[in-house]
Amino acid sequence: MKQKILVVMCCILTVISFGAKKTGVIKIGCVGPITGDQASLGLDQFRALQIAVDEANAKGEIIPGYRLEIVSLDDQHNPTQAVAMAKRLASDPAVVAVVGHVNSSCSLAAAAIYQNARLTQISPSSSNPEISRKGYDTFFRTCATDDIQAPQAAYFAFTQLKAQKVFIIDDKTTYGKGIADEFEKEIRRLGASVLGHEGIMQADKDFTPLLTKIKALEPDLIFFGGMYPEGALLVRQSKALGLSATWLGGDGIYVSSFIDLAKEDAEGVYCTFIGADVSTMASAKNYLETYAGRFGKQHMGPYSAYAYDAANIIIDAIRRAGKSGRQAILAHVRLTKNFPGVVGVTNFDQKGDSTIELIGVFRVKNQAFDYVGPAK
Amino acid sequence: MSPFETFIQQLINGLSIGMIYALIALGYTMVYGIIQLINFAHGEIFILGAFFALFVFSFLGSFVPLNNIVTIIIMFAAAMAGCGLLGVIIERVAYRPLRKAPRLACLITAIGVSFILQNLMMIVWGPIDKSFPVFFKHVVFTVGALRITFMQGFIIITSLLLMISLHFFVRRTMLGKALRATSEDMVAARLMGINVDKVISICFLIGSALAGAGGVMYGMYYTTITFHDGYLVGIKAFTAAVIGGIGNVPGAMLGGVALGMLEGLAAGYISSAWKNVFAFLILVLLLLCWPSGILRKFRNE
Amino acid sequence: MSKKNATSGYNRGRLLRTAMTVGMLAILFALPYFNHNEYQLDVLVSAGIFAILVLGLNVMTGYCGLLNLGYAAFFASGAYTYAILNVKYGLSFWVSLPACIISAGALGLVFGSCVLRLKGDYLALVTLGFGEITRIALNNMDGLTGGPNGLTLSHPVIRFANKSFDFGIKSLPYYYLSLLALLVTIIIMRRLSNSRFGRAWIAIKEDEVAAACMGINTGKLKLFAFCIGSAIAGFAGWLFAGKQGFVSPESFDFTTSIMLVAMLVLGGIGSISGAIVGALALTIIPELLRPLQEYRMFLFGAIMIIMMLFRPQGLLGGVRIFEEFRPVSERVRQEEDEVLAEDLKQ
Repeated sequence: MKQKILVVMCCILTVISFGAKKTGVIKIGCVGPITGDQASLGLDQFRALQIAVDEANAKGEIIPGYRLEIVSLDDQHNPTQAVAMAKRLASDPAVVAVVGHVNSSCSLAAAAIYQNARLTQISPSSSNPEISRKGYDTFFRTCATDDIQAPQAAYFAFTQLKAQKVFIIDDKTTYGKGIADEFEKEIRRLGASVLGHEGIMQADKDFTPLLTKIKALEPDLIFFGGMYPEGALLVRQSKALGLSATWLGGDGIYVSSFIDLAKEDAEGVYCTFIGADVSTMASAKNYLETYAGRFGKQHMGPYSAYAYDAANIIIDAIRRAGKSGRQAILAHVRLTKNFPGVVGVTNFDQKGDSTIELIGVFRVKNQAFDYVGPAK
Repeated sequence: MSPFETFIQQLINGLSIGMIYALIALGYTMVYGIIQLINFAHGEIFILGAFFALFVFSFLGSFVPLNNIVTIIIMFAAAMAGCGLLGVIIERVAYRPLRKAPRLACLITAIGVSFILQNLMMIVWGPIDKSFPVFFKHVVFTVGALRITFMQGFIIITSLLLMISLHFFVRRTMLGKALRATSEDMVAARLMGINVDKVISICFLIGSALAGAGGVMYGMYYTTITFHDGYLVGIKAFTAAVIGGIGNVPGAMLGGVALGMLEGLAAGYISSAWKNVFAFLILVLLLLCWPSGILRKFRNE
Repeated sequence: MSKKNATSGYNRGRLLRTAMTVGMLAILFALPYFNHNEYQLDVLVSAGIFAILVLGLNVMTGYCGLLNLGYAAFFASGAYTYAILNVKYGLSFWVSLPACIISAGALGLVFGSCVLRLKGDYLALVTLGFGEITRIALNNMDGLTGGPNGLTLSHPVIRFANKSFDFGIKSLPYYYLSLLALLVTIIIMRRLSNSRFGRAWIAIKEDEVAAACMGINTGKLKLFAFCIGSAIAGFAGWLFAGKQGFVSPESFDFTTSIMLVAMLVLGGIGSISGAIVGALALTIIPELLRPLQEYRMFLFGAIMIIMMLFRPQGLLGGVRIFEEFRPVSERVRQEEDEVLAEDLKQ
């Protein structure tokens, strides 16, 4: 009998032990990896949202009787967790919109839940084109998609870097494989020969077998679609093997941590990004100063400004809607026109993608990303 | 680069990581040989060795400028001492009280210890990859198109030295004899006046210290370390121990090298995305066809 | 003790047992009305699915002594069977159920027939390897499984006459569904553990040679246990995929397999209620610790160790738990046997 009592106790414990909920606020969800190896990206997104929300709250009540609040959740860049977190946000009626997720794989999985719950989702960094092709009318993003980024990267590689023999590596994630596939398509079309396209496993450390194989093929350019931890290791190990090919990566390696990890081997590595250098933009000056003052400049990630814009688009929509309600806010986000944000003037197209199509190219020089110019 | 040179280069790459697997596999195999426990925390101890070394390195670096060789020696000493001690403490706290309990209970505490260590590393050193110091980066031995970096040579030689000294310790010293006796029959060993608890402690000490040394070399070779690195390398090292016949010290060395090379060749010639599958495929096939491992039969004689 | 007393004790025990069961069921069914919090219900649904999984694992490990460190692979085969049938062939949730159970069971049968000649830790290792291979394969076979992107599924719908009820993303329907599934599994487990097979399995676990001598076909019975355990994992996988509306390889990694073993051992190996308590505890504790953020899993590890140190046989450890439910007369007989055994020793 003891065990039955225990089972009952367990059930009762669950009922009482979880927290109560609040009223009188409009909540904006913020989901990304805030623990684990990509925590810096998730935390950066959260800080950007915090700045936007604090600025809005400082101006008084956003709409009469309502205050803004952030619900921050951790998806551990794991799609299954992302779905669970999306359900949590969807089930809280005070949540009207979500900034996130960071990773394309998570956004893709969670978008179905938001669609069902009529919850507006604006991702600052999920650039995989597949997400908006699914036809979810609740999905938006402030970043350019990989089917814009990768072809421009290919164009740059072919015309500027004079790449003729290319090897492509991706990390088999939604983002990495997506961008690498798009790159391959375009560079083939331009006329370069693709020597091979191989996947690696995320969180693996030993890429020497693959790089040894690549060395024997003697490519003049290696494109990597993936994130910076693997990118840094690939670059380091390729240098140790005496591989002389130029490296080109997507926005996944445009993070200062990439240089921290690859050290001197990062010199000369090219990467593309979904915009120009934020620090040189006049529109971003205020935001950069606020961020540096509150959290320190060194914590600022590449998508910070995009998250800040996403948050402000939501806040703007709430103001225009004049009431709390998912449907109303979704409608007003959709109506957003020429939103003057930090990264430029944002418009959303039919699919919810940002119409800003500038792709910048950076090159690592003296242990910093040096802006080369637009890819096209 | 000719296909033959590529092949040899792949073997050298495989040998380097294989040596690290072998060092870690020794700890698994010794513990299993004595108390029949799959010590799931061993992979965590291994990567903690790298973190200990990194800590000492940044600590030293902020005080006195030392030359490279002295720094390397100090890093190794710190990692091996730290891990060895930790291994002993873990055994005392989490495994010894359960010696008479069902074996699965021990497995669960091992998993618990593994959780604790992994999350401790994440709390202390953060979740992001840490850059590890590299020494003698530009020392490269070249034969034709073949390249052996300093680290590869260093790993191969140091691991060999450590393994040979372990072999002599197990075969030639009284303590080694006690170790062998205990793994053969714990009750009989106790009846012969061997302090079994002490022997088990020493077994954990040596196994963990070797894993710590492996951790430092892993850090130097791959140049970045994260808190969750221990898991996959740990499982692979365990595979290596099984390949060599678990409980068998020379077998673990051979198993590590074999696994490293096979994995490297498979990743290089078949597919790198499936790289980790090969390691486990080897494990499954080997256990099915040759359940006692490569070297087990010698031991049974 | 007179015979009359013994019988009435037996009846009273049985009455109390029935009352407890009915009471508990009533509480579980009424629970959502007292507390309608999505997140908490969602955790309970997960706990229910894990409980089914642990019950399945219990057949292999608890009854038959076959340690399985790759149980997530069978869980995955159920989930992915439904996912693929749903996405590629448009089959509905309900129609795919038999396919999920059969595919997982068949996988268990094939895999089991290859590996069951191995014993103990070696078997555990092969299952570990198999689990990892399955996960990486799911990750790499993009065409079929969607690779790391996973597959997004449609929600279960019940059509009755011309009305339809969509399960949607709310947890409530899944709560009742998983409760029902758990009940079915428990009933099957109870029948099974008291059957000829159940007793044979325990005999094999205790002493395989002795069991074989008693005329038990150990090979076939072990395979049967493996097959049943896998089929139940497939059932749980089907439920999991339906509840999530999404499957990706991360849900079926080594940590999942390990957690399942931990649930089983923590609850008490070989006991049905132990398996359920273990699953509940290890699903709910990490959620309760969530506010501690990065200290969460650290504390969780500590809890696991402490629990094992104080109760190595598990919360509701092993055979002893059945003691209370056994008829008194039988208990007395066993006590007599024990006394006799003591006497013989002396």
